[in-house]
Amino acid sequence: MFKENIKLRLTATFLICFLFFLQLNAQRWDVPADKKSKNSYIKFDGNTAKEGEAIFTKNCKSCHGDLGKSNGIKTMNPAPPDLSQALTQELTDGELFYILNTGRNAMPSFKNTLSEEERWKAISFIRSFNNKYVQVLSKTDPTKSKLVKINCVFDSLSNKLKLNIIANEKTGVIPLKDAEVSLFVTRYFGKLQIEKTIRTNADGIAIFNFPKDLPGDKTGNVDVAIKVSDELYGEIESVNKFNIGIPTDKLGLTQNRAIWNILKKAPWWIIITYTSIVLTVGAFLLYIIFSLLKIRKLGEN
Amino acid sequence: MSEKEENPKNKSRREFIQQVGIVGVGSVLAGSAILAGINYDKKKSTGARIKVLTAENELLEIDRNDATKVGKSKAENLTALQKEGREGIPGKRWVMVVDLSKCKNARKCMSACQGAHQLRPEQHHINVLKMQESKNTPPFYMAKPCQHCDNPPCVAVCPVDATFKRPDGIVLIDNERCIGCRFCIAACPYSARVFNWAEPLLAEEDKDKTYNVELNVPQRKGTVSKCLFSADRLREGKMPYCVSACPNGVYYFGDENEDAVTNGTTKETVRFSKLLEENAGYRLMPELGTKTRVYYLPAKNRTAPFQDKDKLEAEEHLDINNS
Repeated sequence: MFKENIKLRLTATFLICFLFFLQLNAQRWDVPADKKSKNSYIKFDGNTAKEGEAIFTKNCKSCHGDLGKSNGIKTMNPAPPDLSQALTQELTDGELFYILNTGRNAMPSFKNTLSEEERWKAISFIRSFNNKYVQVLSKTDPTKSKLVKINCVFDSLSNKLKLNIIANEKTGVIPLKDAEVSLFVTRYFGKLQIEKTIRTNADGIAIFNFPKDLPGDKTGNVDVAIKVSDELYGEIESVNKFNIGIPTDKLGLTQNRAIWNILKKAPWWIIITYTSIVLTVGAFLLYIIFSLLKIRKLGEN
Repeated sequence: MSEKEENPKNKSRREFIQQVGIVGVGSVLAGSAILAGINYDKKKSTGARIKVLTAENELLEIDRNDATKVGKSKAENLTALQKEGREGIPGKRWVMVVDLSKCKNARKCMSACQGAHQLRPEQHHINVLKMQESKNTPPFYMAKPCQHCDNPPCVAVCPVDATFKRPDGIVLIDNERCIGCRFCIAACPYSARVFNWAEPLLAEEDKDKTYNVELNVPQRKGTVSKCLFSADRLREGKMPYCVSACPNGVYYFGDENEDAVTNGTTKETVRFSKLLEENAGYRLMPELGTKTRVYYLPAKNRTAPFQDKDKLEAEEHLDINNS
């Protein structure tokens, strides 16, 4: 009887532990291997941490609270962790960067709201709470980004945009292999991404299918932004005008005749009905005056 | 004799008048000269020199007192703003998409809007409503601004052309023209309009401010006010106050002509047509033929249950006998 009880207790404890483990596991981030190993090209120091603190205060503090004080919002599910604790500090820089980029559940993505530099600086601030942290710098050489050239060719038959990305090194022209390429179209409030981010092949070539129904300006011109991110050459961005959109020149919404529009744009039926009523009543009044005058003349005679 | 006697008298009067005239004119001249001298001295005494860039791109240094301010008068500014406000931004057709599945009743949109347009707490250009169709369906929150109809009933009934539709789709009110008849409030099927029953909050501070038709500030007692799609912000390339203030990514805003809308929280830009297609977008009360410019995405995954005070309120409104 006593033994059975112990057994039951053990099973229950084991079950609880297992469930707890599952719960923890559910909160883990699934970061792709290539993103995990990404490193910052900015050297983390006191200055970057200070700049990062300002970014953290503005964008992260409202949920995560002050670092080291564990005073984030507790009512949220999952609760935003104190980022100075082991749970976060165990992650690689690449993983933290990925989390900032994608977001999950209540945590928004900061990909479009913070620049890459700002995102790394925020991570620098988080790392400043970890004494054991040793930074691994990426191989990126920021001075080399000037050497990169992006050649674009648009094939109007297949509606494909072919990008050839090369670096003009002293030793000769080298194609950028396995570099991340994203294609955007500039819109009024931001950049619209076309397809997903892809990687260049061995010849430094990336091909995008451009949508056939994307509106351009009056003549069909579209501002296309190409963003290349390479481990060695860093980030390169170029904006070009292409005549590949649908010419869009729509009239203003007040062009058509409508009952709510200005007088000049009133519907014909209103203009005709109103004018005819005014004319009829006017003519009738004139007729009455004319008749009265006639009666007076008759009286005088 | 008498004539002789009279003559010198006449002479002396003429002389007297002549003399008085000379003295008078002289003293006036002298006085004005002294006054001019004092004024000149006053000007010189300030001694502040300022740099002025001429239209010919020449940088000149002149005395501050020699410079006259060439600015538009208040009336001219008002006319310019009113003209600009009627014309809108060419080539645009603004649209808003409200994703109800993301709204958690944070009410940041409302406070940002009330702050920008100087509204009283009970006045709403945008309101977050508590929704529950029946007792067994999960509740949700719904943000409701002016729908900026392409066939606006409010504009049709305005007797003084105070409220109008712009070519870029925004429906605005010119409070300088509004006579406060409130026909538009009665005509609006979405209850989007509010009336200024009391003096506006910052009436004293804004006394000398030029009225901006794209912001409805300063508000005016006895006139109607409503959501403006933040027409002043759009001109600067920024998204509306409510859209930028939302912490939960509820709002998308953009240009229908560009077929793109941008999320106010994540700043992610997506195709407008795809967003509606993939998420079953709809408009409010389409049967009225108002053709609204605000689109809604259905409230799926209703993960934000009513807060306690809202629960009590909902119980009052739901028909208990029906359950």
